[in-house]
Amino acid sequence: MLDFSVTLGRLRLANPILVASGTFGYAREMAGAVDFAKLGGIIPKTVTKSPRAGNPPPRTVETTSGMLNAIGLDNDGIDHFIAHHLPYLRTLPTAIIANIAGKTADEFVTMAAQIGREPGLAGLELNLSCPNVSGGLDFATDAAMIHKIVADVRAVCPLPIIAKLTPNVTNIVPIAQAAADAGADAVSLVNTFVGIAIDWRKRKPILGNITGGLSGPAIKPLALRLVWLVAKNVKVPIIGVGGISTIDDVMEFLVAGASAVQIGTANFFDPSVSTRLVDQLPDAMKMLHAHRVADVVGAAH
Amino acid sequence: MTFHQHTADVLAHEHLATNTFLIRLRCPELARAIRPGQFVMLRLGNRSDPLLGRPFALYDTVLDERGKPIGIDVVYLVVGKMTGLLQHVRAGETLSVWGPLGNGFPEPVGSEHVALVAGGIGQTPFLAHIRELLGTRGYAGNAPRRQVQRVSLYYGVRSADLAAGVEDFRNAGATVHLASNDGSLGHHGFVTDLLASHEVPQHLFGCGPEPMLHALAEQAARRGIPCHVSLETPMACGVGICFSCVTPVKTPDGWDYKRVCIDGPVFDAAGLKW
Repeated sequence: MLDFSVTLGRLRLANPILVASGTFGYAREMAGAVDFAKLGGIIPKTVTKSPRAGNPPPRTVETTSGMLNAIGLDNDGIDHFIAHHLPYLRTLPTAIIANIAGKTADEFVTMAAQIGREPGLAGLELNLSCPNVSGGLDFATDAAMIHKIVADVRAVCPLPIIAKLTPNVTNIVPIAQAAADAGADAVSLVNTFVGIAIDWRKRKPILGNITGGLSGPAIKPLALRLVWLVAKNVKVPIIGVGGISTIDDVMEFLVAGASAVQIGTANFFDPSVSTRLVDQLPDAMKMLHAHRVADVVGAAH
Repeated sequence: MTFHQHTADVLAHEHLATNTFLIRLRCPELARAIRPGQFVMLRLGNRSDPLLGRPFALYDTVLDERGKPIGIDVVYLVVGKMTGLLQHVRAGETLSVWGPLGNGFPEPVGSEHVALVAGGIGQTPFLAHIRELLGTRGYAGNAPRRQVQRVSLYYGVRSADLAAGVEDFRNAGATVHLASNDGSLGHHGFVTDLLASHEVPQHLFGCGPEPMLHALAEQAARRGIPCHVSLETPMACGVGICFSCVTPVKTPDGWDYKRVCIDGPVFDAAGLKW
């Protein structure tokens, strides 16, 4: 009997395959293509305190084996999320992890307190790393600020806390360490890499926001290396995210030190991929003669 | 609103006009569920470049000898990396396909005369639409039901060699009015100008380049005709989860971005913030 469950701090998941925030809408959209009961969890799109229209289009552009996005946290605000999306989400037979982004440390804390009062959630992921809104990357690159936000959020919200970090820093280790020291149950590594696409014929950038976040298979080795680095240097559970689209990718992240993974951009180009990866997990574990996912995590170290 | 992902066999693939092809896919479940104005995403399997699927309108369903839907036809223009590779896919190969997607065309106002206005490759959603309007084919499990007495198709192309499917539209029962930018086919000029010189239909449906749709929307407003347009914006997922394909839509307190894939692709032209 194989044991697929994983434990990340106070967060316990039935299996290590989650779907990433911003790549699965509010789940409702995917009801026909994905058997939610199979997933380790769902992280719906980031919500902010007030409604945001988001960035002007074009918002995404395909690049070689990847895509740039600059959506700009288009959402209807936390009150709408709680009134219209959460009632559906909490009925789903899988762990639901809300994801929030504040413009200030205070906003993170206020929203976390509000989310923390809602039943039916398994955890709270803090989007400390959106590259496409002003202020987003300021938090993400400041270890002291990350520490403060995570600690303050923990003080007001009873849910397991996951800090989603940016790769757009010189050294991610002290940032992850700060999140761990402040009491984060886990860190999600990583958000997108800032990039740009240019239409040289028109002599201008393609995206309405000029820059965007790179995701997809193109970034997998970069994300994998950051998971490896944090696993080696910081004592904190890791959720690996970045370009995962095959069972080999999943296993590489687990072996590199991630306790769970998030499927992101692959949901866009292969909508039923997440459940297929869950189905493929047993055979991959058997190849390593592993009975528990936990036995695979960090096996490369 | 739910969609499903399938691996579809390519049953046929034929050249219709310059850089324009019809690809026939075997996908019975999807074919039974889709209706005119909806679309599907197609992706070439097992390659990461191009990475994303691309949206394609339903051209029409494919029926077996007993009239049961077993597949769909998609007509496309080769414009970029994905369609450049798609044109070389042969019968017997497979594609990843997911759908049905989007809202589809609403029932027209009035039961006498509806005009469909297409520009460029924007004619593709209208074959199934003509058959639905004239009640010669049922979609999404609905029995055929005649909704209007007459359907006119106004179809504009850059030049005659790009016109694709004209006989299909005529055979489906539409009166076809052609226009071309260079005068090589039908009216010499914009299809919207041709439309403006004709009788007033009870409802307009448009699909094509945005400047054409904008001109159509203005004409509809001027002549007091209800008008719906099918938009095409760059999409990453086609299913509502990426928030890429947004277009500004009027709201009671101003405007907001709406997802073309899930709130559209068909919008009331008067509600769009052009």
